[in-house]
Amino acid sequence: MRFRFCGDLDCPDWVLAEMSTLARISSVKMKLLCVQVIKDLLDEGIDYDKVAKLTSDAKFESGDIKAGIAVLSFILSSAAKHDVDSESLSSELQQLGLPKEHTTSLCKSYEDKHIALQEKQRESSLRLGGLEAVNWRVDYTLSSSELKQVNEPTVQLRLQAQDPETDSTQTTTVSITADKFRVLLTELRQAQTMMNALQ
Amino acid sequence: MLLVLSEEHKEHLGFLSEVDAPVVGEFGRIAVEFLKKGSNPKIFEGAARKLNVSSESVQHGVEGLMYLLTESSKLMISEVDFQDSVLVLGFSEELNELLLQLYLENRKEIRQILSKLAPSLPHYHNLEWRLDVQLASRALRQQVKPTVTLKLHLEDGAKRRAHVLQTDPATLQHLIHELERALAELKSNHCRRILRNIK
Repeated sequence: MRFRFCGDLDCPDWVLAEMSTLARISSVKMKLLCVQVIKDLLDEGIDYDKVAKLTSDAKFESGDIKAGIAVLSFILSSAAKHDVDSESLSSELQQLGLPKEHTTSLCKSYEDKHIALQEKQRESSLRLGGLEAVNWRVDYTLSSSELKQVNEPTVQLRLQAQDPETDSTQTTTVSITADKFRVLLTELRQAQTMMNALQ
Repeated sequence: MLLVLSEEHKEHLGFLSEVDAPVVGEFGRIAVEFLKKGSNPKIFEGAARKLNVSSESVQHGVEGLMYLLTESSKLMISEVDFQDSVLVLGFSEELNELLLQLYLENRKEIRQILSKLAPSLPHYHNLEWRLDVQLASRALRQQVKPTVTLKLHLEDGAKRRAHVLQTDPATLQHLIHELERALAELKSNHCRRILRNIK
């Protein structure tokens, strides 16, 4: 059985197995649980005490609470990942055996927050060596030990980038003569025109 | 297979015959706690004061018990062998029975702890990936070159390292194909025969 929210693949067995666990809590509590899980996915912190209170009526043990949170995280993040609209999500969840009221409350939470979820997922996509800061300075060399009258401007450029393998900040300093800098600027402007054309 | 205890070890354990059975039970419990969570010398002081003996003898007694339990669990000796090995120490029937019970109850857990002490290679922790298309470079415009960038996170004990790799889709397909062949190897007759014999 192919499901859109699983990326047109089969639904994992453990998700199927936990549907019955989710059906044990009332649909109102389900909506509040979804709100907590979405907060966790958006890195706003999850309040485990609230979750424990919500699930205490259905007598969830700690294993059930963990399973419930895991299933909801998977469904919501996977649906946002594959850009599934809430009607398809609703019909697919009902096919998996989640009762109608629970599905409705889950899809309502999803619809409210799916843009925010996708933004968060876009930000956390793999990014290698991001540029953090650029500092520059223009100097004018008057004379040197080699030549008495040099009279040449130079640019000192300091780039702070993230090392892709260790995630620590690496600083690179270069000094560029006027001609070389002109070449660099032209090439970068060409790249920028191309990027703007794509947007 | 009999456990051969050194003279020093026998001497340390000899202390246990001088105290009552419940105390030995308590020592056994402390020994197992220490095996699970690491030793705490302060407990020796308290016990020594209560029993009116030197804390060194208490320490030797508990450590002797710990060593007895780890050696027996390591070699996975049978009940009979354990009883014969302990007989050498000349303890009372009751004490022998107590030690046997201690061994049998905690054997599995001690073996689990011991299995983690073996040297290990760095293992998989997380894999992030990204699909890019190279459209142009300084040397050549109007290109279409898809690449897959991978960040493989490995964990080695406490250390985490990330490896950044890049591949084109054809090589990735080949990689997946080879890994699937490796998994399929598990189902071949040769492997099945070996696994059957191990079980």
